[in-house]
Amino acid sequence: MTGNAPFLVVGIIFFLGMYAILFERNLIKIAIGITLLEASANLLLIVLGYRTGGSIPVYTLAGGTRTMVLPTPQALTLTAIVIGLATSALLLSLIILLYRHYGTLDVREIRRLRG
Amino acid sequence: MNIRPFLFRITALFLCAFLGVMLFRGIAAMPPKESVTGPAAHYLERASRETGARNVVGAILFDYRAFDTLGESTVIFTAVCGISMLFSRRKFHRSSSGLSFIAKRGIGIMAPFLIMYATVIILFGHISPGGGFQGGTIFATVTVLLCVVFGSSFESSYFPPKTKESLESGGALLFCGIGLVGLAAGTGFLSNLSAGFPAGREGSLLSAGTIPLLNIAVGMKVGAGLSAIFYSMIKMLDTTNDYREGGPIR
Repeated sequence: MTGNAPFLVVGIIFFLGMYAILFERNLIKIAIGITLLEASANLLLIVLGYRTGGSIPVYTLAGGTRTMVLPTPQALTLTAIVIGLATSALLLSLIILLYRHYGTLDVREIRRLRG
Repeated sequence: MNIRPFLFRITALFLCAFLGVMLFRGIAAMPPKESVTGPAAHYLERASRETGARNVVGAILFDYRAFDTLGESTVIFTAVCGISMLFSRRKFHRSSSGLSFIAKRGIGIMAPFLIMYATVIILFGHISPGGGFQGGTIFATVTVLLCVVFGSSFESSYFPPKTKESLESGGALLFCGIGLVGLAAGTGFLSNLSAGFPAGREGSLLSAGTIPLLNIAVGMKVGAGLSAIFYSMIKMLDTTNDYREGGPIR
């Protein structure tokens, strides 16, 4: 059962992110929720690739052990982190522009002030 | 009217809990991973022989799935384009004068070492943990530090936005050019050792065919791209200090 603890952490982080997206009204908090979802997806990939007692998938530093963790999820996560950084920067830029245009970050206010 | 948000919350909560339980049952039913099969076993067994790289993650990123990596770096390029276009209206800006003397001296001493660290991580990406993505991010961190500590006009005088732009485009062109070499050799886009690139002695700096070159290309793209993103955003924040809080600008 302790082997499933990382999955539980993934679920908790995903839940927190989803809660923020669904129920928060501040755009910055919604952006934080989206990055939390990204983090939980990355963590899920890494956890899925873990093998008990596995070393890093680099021959130079693996030592004598022949058990390595799976390399493909790590490669995917590596790019996903950098892309997540770029997309959250784009997200925050749009929020900056929204704030300059409407003067508020509340999604209900922004909806009402349209036009 | 007051009951609706409450009902919405309860429904969403039950839906989330139901999905969570179902997914957790799926995880419990997964087979144990004591023995790997399929592509993972292939990569772990033969990556060193087939690509010459000792870093299996790097071998997957820049050899087996290099086309995927090209697409992913295009996403960064698109984000940079979007942010630059969003913030392109403003022609001039006033830079902040930076932080205190101690912070400036400290970063002045640290910055060359940080740049050296990033370079090592990029260049040794095929034999040790690291690679273009990580090293490029550290490069971007150096420019972010310079921006914050010395003010954005100082940073833009050392690393002009034009230079970043040409570095990023150069990285993309280098990546595609290396891919086209494989196409010209008749072995397919972005093929590595089969296209005639030398494998070198395994574990040395000049080995693994195209992987170090692709590491450099991705490092240029990521480093220049992320620092351009940060420069655009901080330039915007510098200019908006003039306006009263909450007032629409137009």
